[in-house]
Amino acid sequence: MAEGLSVRLRQRAPIPLEVALEVAPGELLALVGPSGSGKSSVLRAIAGLLRPREGRIACAGETWLDAGAGLSLPPQRRRVGFVFQHYALFPHMSALDNVAAALGHWPQAGRAARAREWLARVHLAGLEERKPVRLSGGQQQRVAVARALAGEPRALLLDEPFSAVDQVTRRKLYRELAELRRTLPIPQILVTHDLDEAALLADRIAVLHHGRTLQTGPPAELLARPASPLVARLLDQRNLFEGTVLGHEPERTWIAWAGRRLEARPAPGFAPGARVAWLIPEAQVRLLRRDPPGGRRPRDNVVTGTVVEMLALGGRVQVTLAPDGRAEAPPIAFSVAAHIIGREGIAPGAELRLSLLAAGLHLMPPEPA
Amino acid sequence: MIARLSATLLAAMLLFTAAPARADPPPPVAAASDLKFALEEAAAQFEHDTGKAVKLVFGSSGNFARQIEQGAPFELLLSADEGYVLALAGKGLMRDQGVLYAIGRIALFAPHGSPLDPAAGLDALRGVLARGQLTRFAIANPEHAPYGRAAVEALRHAGLWDAVQPRLVLGENATQAAQYAASGSTEGGIVPYSLALSTNFRDRGRYALLPAEWHAPLRQRMALTRGAGPTARAFYDWLQQPAARAIFARHGFELPEAGAR
Amino acid sequence: MDWQALRLSIALASWTLAALLPLGLLLARLLAYRRFRGQGWVEALLALPLVLPPTVIGFYLLEGFGAASGFGRAWEALFGHRLVFTFEGLVLASILVNVPFAVQPMQRAFEAIPREVREAAACCGMGRWRIVTRIELPLAWPGILTALVLVFAHTLGEFGVVLMVGGSIPGETRTIAIAIYDRVQAFDDAAAGRMSALLLAISLVTIAASYALTRRLGRRDG
Repeated sequence: MAEGLSVRLRQRAPIPLEVALEVAPGELLALVGPSGSGKSSVLRAIAGLLRPREGRIACAGETWLDAGAGLSLPPQRRRVGFVFQHYALFPHMSALDNVAAALGHWPQAGRAARAREWLARVHLAGLEERKPVRLSGGQQQRVAVARALAGEPRALLLDEPFSAVDQVTRRKLYRELAELRRTLPIPQILVTHDLDEAALLADRIAVLHHGRTLQTGPPAELLARPASPLVARLLDQRNLFEGTVLGHEPERTWIAWAGRRLEARPAPGFAPGARVAWLIPEAQVRLLRRDPPGGRRPRDNVVTGTVVEMLALGGRVQVTLAPDGRAEAPPIAFSVAAHIIGREGIAPGAELRLSLLAAGLHLMPPEPA
Repeated sequence: MIARLSATLLAAMLLFTAAPARADPPPPVAAASDLKFALEEAAAQFEHDTGKAVKLVFGSSGNFARQIEQGAPFELLLSADEGYVLALAGKGLMRDQGVLYAIGRIALFAPHGSPLDPAAGLDALRGVLARGQLTRFAIANPEHAPYGRAAVEALRHAGLWDAVQPRLVLGENATQAAQYAASGSTEGGIVPYSLALSTNFRDRGRYALLPAEWHAPLRQRMALTRGAGPTARAFYDWLQQPAARAIFARHGFELPEAGAR
Repeated sequence: MDWQALRLSIALASWTLAALLPLGLLLARLLAYRRFRGQGWVEALLALPLVLPPTVIGFYLLEGFGAASGFGRAWEALFGHRLVFTFEGLVLASILVNVPFAVQPMQRAFEAIPREVREAAACCGMGRWRIVTRIELPLAWPGILTALVLVFAHTLGEFGVVLMVGGSIPGETRTIAIAIYDRVQAFDDAAAGRMSALLLAISLVTIAASYALTRRLGRRDG
């Protein structure tokens, strides 16, 4: 990965960091984690705005930081494009001058024209002379993106660039960023606390917690196979339970949970009798129809229970089900399209049958007690 | 001075504890700053003799005259320049034209290490000037300080004015001039003899009295204001008695004839 | 009217400005952007002239500039004349007394620039000096202007310290404020009144002009 961005950071204070990231050219890595997890510090360290105690950062074959060797290039020589959370536009300069400010490497005479091109690329033609205060939030963000890219950076760093705009603008900006990215041959890192945003935009996600990168992988994989219950929780997975391994078959692993026997993806690493954490992503919970068309087919892991809570969110409804039987079984969450609610007669107190798809049932080491 | 001041304070405290219900608070007395040491001693003696206290405020006579004009509650003004007292009396702000209580003298003062030797009088100044050793010479501002005027007259009398004038540093009042003269930042200055004699000054250099006939007499006059109470009146009378005159004399003042108007 | 005293005051204010503009910018920027051990003490020391009476400052200057002090002697050895009772001495005193009037508004102005804006400039490839001239100074300009006006007006009006260390030498240390005091002391109310009115007018015009300019600058960024 000589052409990409490679980041290793380690320090205890002032902010604990233990970070390992690799981003390939053209790839967008989303760095997610709760506030205070050190996301911005990682970006700042990559940009050279913060100097960690230990670490190595290299990009495009050039070493930016080698703390052991006492090497740390200043931000000016790392040439990163940085979009700050509140954009950090130069308030006394026009949009054009803001972009031109990043064109120090460009011949003086051509800067204005070049800056104009960049503003046009982010759909701001005609607003060149506006000062930042006279631009909307979305327009300011576009100026910031244009300014970050105008310097022909070797990496693009985006620090919560969508958090300060309304939702409608945000969707538009998502599409614009995706569009811009298609021709962007450099590593990109997006810091966000919005998981949907990360899953939508990123090629891979890195989960950060207390300054540590816990797991990195494509969004779907991270959601389906978190490395630990902590990662699952940080990714907002709610159907997280604990059970006991019963035994393994070649195609499946059996676990015991709340007096039931559940079939899981094969996980031969866990010894029979061992305590395990298990996860069933909401997308892997099926609602079984009261009168299924056609014959009954055998179903995985059928759980019956009572609806305890319903919450409509957009076109979908979040349903919480309390499994029947022993009282200690914790509730299971799933969501269904709004039109299913009436057809299946789902209402608080209603009896439902769910199937937890065995292919989605993921086993993890339990959390330390 | 601190010892004397604390003695005064102690006396005042004792007095207050002895007579807690005293109806007559110490009257404020305004005095020219050249009287600083003489009058503090006089007031302490007065208090010792009569059991009555006064509150002394030292400053520029001109400032006091201006303040009395504006209704400041001083009961007695001891001016370094009789002109202020006479002017106030003329405006009807004083009980009468008051009395002369002292005549100020001036002294040549040189700090330790100065090439100037006051013992030789203003001739010494001439010598130092000739040798180009005089960089700064302090006097009080003659525009408004009587001691400054007297210093200018003495310098003119000695024929030194034109030579010294470019080297002058002007003190805002006689005390500041003395401070400049003693600071070591000047080669010396002309200061009130009363200050040159004071303990604080004596140790900081050498001095010599300049002849009285080289300048117009510094006639210091005091008068009671219209609002003066019994204590201020008693102090005014006491300051004209031999005991008080002896204190003034000891502090380097010349004495007018007793009862001089 | 003592034009000489007015000229002297304006010269004093101009020299003070000339010294405090670079010195103030340096100190203000350092205090705004660096964190170092004992910073609180340094800031307190620089703010002292705001709270100390002129008598205290005057006393120390008299002692420190005088022939008895090492600094006074060194100055005399270096320049061939004493520091007390000279215009140079007055300029030095004025610089010391005016440090907080210069540093504080400038420091606040530098502090008001968001860290990210300066970092963005660095990420844009601007060098340190370019960040100072293109970003920091234009953004801090109203505060810098305020500082300069305060220093100028405050120097014109400085009285206590000059009274203590100046010696009222015409053309050398008799500033307009001292000249007014001397005229008042001499009961020359007419001259004192004329000079006071002039000083008042100059101060008013200076401050009003700076306010107007600051507002214009504010609008320019808007």
